[in-house]
Amino acid sequence: MIRLLFFTLLSTNLIYSDEDHHMHQHSHSHYVYVQGEKLEVDEKRFKNFLDGLTNSQVAVVNVNGMVCDFCARGIEKTFVKDKAVKRIDVDLERGKVLIAYTKDKEIDFDEIKSKILANGQNAIDFSILNI
Amino acid sequence: MGIYIKIFFILLLILNTEARPISYSGGHTLMHFNDNMKESIYYHYSPSFKYSIGVEELNNKIFDRSETNLRFTYLVNRKNTKNSQRNFYFQSAVSTKNSNFIYGVHGDWETRRYFIGFDYKEIKNIIDYTDKHIQLGFAPYLGAYGDLHTWLMLKTKKNSLSKKQITYPVLKFFKGNVLLEVGYDKKTDWDIHLMYRF
Repeated sequence: MIRLLFFTLLSTNLIYSDEDHHMHQHSHSHYVYVQGEKLEVDEKRFKNFLDGLTNSQVAVVNVNGMVCDFCARGIEKTFVKDKAVKRIDVDLERGKVLIAYTKDKEIDFDEIKSKILANGQNAIDFSILNI
Repeated sequence: MGIYIKIFFILLLILNTEARPISYSGGHTLMHFNDNMKESIYYHYSPSFKYSIGVEELNNKIFDRSETNLRFTYLVNRKNTKNSQRNFYFQSAVSTKNSNFIYGVHGDWETRRYFIGFDYKEIKNIIDYTDKHIQLGFAPYLGAYGDLHTWLMLKTKKNSLSKKQITYPVLKFFKGNVLLEVGYDKKTDWDIHLMYRF
């Protein structure tokens, strides 16, 4: 039981250390400029995602807690139920979810936050691109 | 027993009680688990992001009998950061055939590269006993979404019946909705954990 307590406390400390650290870690990231906006995404993955998309809006969502493929599966399953969603992708390395919506969809960040929270992660902020 | 309850509640106070999903809301999970203690098939459903309910059919190898347990798991705490996730669960089970029950806690912290997990259970059966393990993991490569992911892990476990601590390597693989965890120790033979989410 003492070990249980020790590891819980250890993990708590590591998490707070981690929060401080990630504020300074973006130096190796790739940036892509879309419509004058700088986005931190995997360029190749982003181009593949956009391939063939027309008359769409793309929400690029920053998500906390998306550290595992198996745990992120529910995000895709939740969003594809929405008929306005044309395509979705998860970038585990940068903690981003890309969601392509139809042009007429009124994108509501609270709705996105709620769906991502239902999978156990936290949506922090987002950008919308018109394609 | 009293000290365990106190420590449990101290842990609850240390960790704030912001609740997050166990599986995604509306998610189903089917598991097969086999080690030196039991072999089981466990199905659970998460009606909300805070808890799951399920049924487990198991062969208890220690007491050589089959049991059916109703299980309830509650996510007491989850902490998400950009690069990590920490979870702390309360877990419980009651037998449908007798007055046996189980309760305990489970916690983990992981990044894409490292994993630390622990599990502690009190088992009320023909003979009462405790079961606990700690698991450390390292991902040798960081796969993208949809790739095969691999973890090299070390698990150490002990129960109050055998009183022996066993430490052995575990390999964990997952791709898509399927997860497989395999461990081996010459004293306790294979640990196999197969999981499918839908």
